[in-house]
Amino acid sequence: MFFAIIGTLIGVVIGLLLPITYSPTYALYVSVAILACLDSVFGGIRANLQDKFDAKIFVSGFFGNAILAAFLAYMGDRLGVPLYYAAIFTFGGRLFENFAVIRRLLLNKKPTKK
Amino acid sequence: MEKGKKVNLILLTFSALLGFMAVIQLNQDMESYNFVTLRTIQVSKNEIANTSKEIEDLETLIVEKEEEIKRIENTKDESSAHSILNEELDKTKIASGFCDMEGPGIVIIMQDNQAAEIVGYDVNDDVIHDIDILNILNDLRIAGAEAISINGQRIMPMSEIKCGGPNIKINGKSLATPFVIKAIGNPKTLYASVNAPSTYGYKLKNLYQINIETSIEDKINISAYSGNFVFRNANPTKEGD
Repeated sequence: MFFAIIGTLIGVVIGLLLPITYSPTYALYVSVAILACLDSVFGGIRANLQDKFDAKIFVSGFFGNAILAAFLAYMGDRLGVPLYYAAIFTFGGRLFENFAVIRRLLLNKKPTKK
Repeated sequence: MEKGKKVNLILLTFSALLGFMAVIQLNQDMESYNFVTLRTIQVSKNEIANTSKEIEDLETLIVEKEEEIKRIENTKDESSAHSILNEELDKTKIASGFCDMEGPGIVIIMQDNQAAEIVGYDVNDDVIHDIDILNILNDLRIAGAEAISINGQRIMPMSEIKCGGPNIKINGKSLATPFVIKAIGNPKTLYASVNAPSTYGYKLKNLYQINIETSIEDKINISAYSGNFVFRNANPTKEGD
């Protein structure tokens, strides 16, 4: 949990320092990919707290979900069907689910330690 | 402990990647993510074309003026100064319409509807009005007419075209049908400006049955304006005032 926050901050600083731009056409794909990555990181934190963390699953999920989500958004654009909704609903729903589990784990942790 | 460290490292790295991506995405210029219709593109293109043409014109004007300045500076004796002044006078006369002109162009002959039965709602629809002449005149000007006369009256910058009952007043003189409009310019574009579908002349001819005959001619003479202007209220402003 702590490391994830620190890591995000490091990433933000690097992102602010590096002047990277791309065409606004890709903005939608990237934002869906970011959602998938966010979900993966939350899932990783949750698994870490549950002591079930598997590096392979985490890494493959991180990249695989992001690429699949971006690809879905792209295909949706091509076909004229907003397919990226699938990614938004799936990852958005799972994000809250993961967050709920993390909250419970963190809140219930303290009394058990005492 | 060893495994926990590894997990934390992975989480750290990938969170960093996530934060990095998110910030890059946030830093994108989202304002350019607007919808652009084909019409807007066309309008912008036209605007650009117009502006660049204007710039080009101004540049040629600069070159012209520079040459003129050089020429004036190089004059030494009185006779050459005289000839330059005469040249200028001729140019001004040509530009203002105080000079007879000839060149290729078109002749339009307009006549009221001669048929016995009337076409429109009332007889006014079969008669040529001042507004018809004005519209055709405007079309000709858009098509690049360089000199225009109507029934021998040269159209000047200050010429009026006014309804005078059964006839039309131009330059203060009453003119009646048939109206002979002569225009010097590119004959093809001038012809098209009156005869192409959906132009005003086409409508007059086919909808209102006004007799309009247009002929392209290689040599048209347009006489100069015979009157003279009296300026009572307008005064020229001097440059640098």
